[in-house]
Amino acid sequence: MPEFLDAALSRPNLVAFVVLLLWGLYITITHHNLVKKLIGLYLVQTSVIFFLVTTGAKEGATVPVILDGMGPVTADAYVNPLPQVLTLTAIVVQIATLGVSLGLVSRIYRKFGSLDEDQILAKLE
Amino acid sequence: MTEHLPALVFLVPLATAICMPVAGHGRKSICKPLALLAVAAMTVLSVASLWAIVSHGEVRYSFSGWEPPIGIEWLADPLAAIMLVGVSALGVLCLLYGAAIDDRTHDKHPIPYYTIVLLLIAGLTGAVYAGDLFNIFVFLEVVSLSAYALVAVPGGRALVSAFRYLLMGTLGTAFYLLGVGYFYAATGALNIADLAQQVPALLGSKAVMGGLIFMFIGLAIKMALMPLHGWLPDAYSDGPAAAVPLLAGLVTKVALLLWVRILFWVIGAGEAQQASGIFTLVSSLGILASVGAACIALRQQDLKRMFAYGGISHVGLVLIGLGQANQTGLTGAVYYLLNDAVMQCALFMLAGFIAQRYGVRSLDDAGRASIRNPLVIGTFVVVALGMVGLPPTGGFFGKLRILLGTIEAGNYLAAGAVVVTTLVTLGYFAQVLERLVRREGDAVPEPDSGHTPWALHASMVALAAAMLGLGIWNDPIVKALIDATGGLAI
Repeated sequence: MPEFLDAALSRPNLVAFVVLLLWGLYITITHHNLVKKLIGLYLVQTSVIFFLVTTGAKEGATVPVILDGMGPVTADAYVNPLPQVLTLTAIVVQIATLGVSLGLVSRIYRKFGSLDEDQILAKLE
Repeated sequence: MTEHLPALVFLVPLATAICMPVAGHGRKSICKPLALLAVAAMTVLSVASLWAIVSHGEVRYSFSGWEPPIGIEWLADPLAAIMLVGVSALGVLCLLYGAAIDDRTHDKHPIPYYTIVLLLIAGLTGAVYAGDLFNIFVFLEVVSLSAYALVAVPGGRALVSAFRYLLMGTLGTAFYLLGVGYFYAATGALNIADLAQQVPALLGSKAVMGGLIFMFIGLAIKMALMPLHGWLPDAYSDGPAAAVPLLAGLVTKVALLLWVRILFWVIGAGEAQQASGIFTLVSSLGILASVGAACIALRQQDLKRMFAYGGISHVGLVLIGLGQANQTGLTGAVYYLLNDAVMQCALFMLAGFIAQRYGVRSLDDAGRASIRNPLVIGTFVVVALGMVGLPPTGGFFGKLRILLGTIEAGNYLAAGAVVVTTLVTLGYFAQVLERLVRREGDAVPEPDSGHTPWALHASMVALAAAMLGLGIWNDPIVKALIDATGGLAI
């Protein structure tokens, strides 16, 4: 067990990722309010994006923009840009999902007059 | 010219979708023919692309000349080309059917409706062609967002079903992206060809195995694998009659195809891969899904829900074929996947048509109504033969190869599951057919509500003909699939 704890504590970024992911899942599953469910979903997506960014991070490295463009480039001096590019796309996807889901929720609210899952299900019967 | 065909097949529906709001502004009647024209043009292009690939070999298309690993690569191999002919041809038939059926909820707003349908088809095309895992994620999300919106079109109950679908589906893509992140962290590559060189040696690594499991969970939600299928029956029974055949036939099947890509093109099926247990997992879940969902289908009263569970059980059958890790099982599974796309499409067209024309929604309704339309009954009989897996439909030959694959692998439990699923499927289709054709004393006379549009009959009969055609000409298609999978390490 201490071995496992050591491994976890030496990578606090991954601990943060796991906490965010589980927190998001918990909110999505337990809350009855549709908007709160969406907040949980957003947290899950954000945690995955955080994980992607963290795979490219290096200690002591800087933003991957080569300023002078002359001398030889040392890869250790810059963080890996590819996960950040993936992240940009993933954020766009996340925003699109959020837009569609909020649109759906607003139509549900206009139709059923409630955001509570139990009340909506009761009206469906 | 022919080397650009893969890009053109994708760009035709995408460009039309983008132009739709401008073209349809002020003259909404143009939307329907425009969408139909775009998908028809796409069908012609995809047939040409299949022809070019079969005669000149597979194409690896690099966008704007940037070679991988820097650029984005599309993998246009025979598997993708065959699948795309299916996607575009089914797209044409579903649009014809959707334009003719009397479910007019989408007619008030044709511009967004047809834009979303075209985006869905473009997304499916991209997902089939994508040559790297991250692009698969992007196109999967394009497909899913369009599908959520389409399910919600009728309003009312469908809104809640669409929201549930959205919650499950978004969790699915999040898990898939997490798996891609694990793969990238372990190998530094996203391209399928690059990964195929590195991953087999890394199967002992927890990161790679964990990533694979996360991708499987994500795609399993999208393909509605049995314990994760909760969204599908509601979404398909409440969704619009015009669009559900398209969703049922294509969305889950393309997710399955992506899993085939990852399983056989990235992981491979050699000794080490089989020892890692992933194929056993796929096969076991397939057994659970095929038998379990077939039994649930037997207990359904609502026809659309019964057909939806039938589709879920067929996802299990395809996974059984994949899980045997031999070429017989793989080609059988892919061939069955193609047939299943046609069958699901036809089933939901029939269900939508008899619900709208005869008011038949459940088994009891089917017993009361008297349907004398020979084309409807004929199509239903052909589809039922295909779902059960009897010759001369394509379903028989796919199932036969899956069964042969299980016997080749010595997995008799899986072989038993295929047989049990077949018998249970026969059970619920016999139930429906018996009630549809039985003449009862107090039968309600057939409603005389004008003539049926030709497009409805044409689309259903074309699907029945396609199923018979897939059965009669199964030999060249299966041979092409064997060639397509010949280079894999199996």
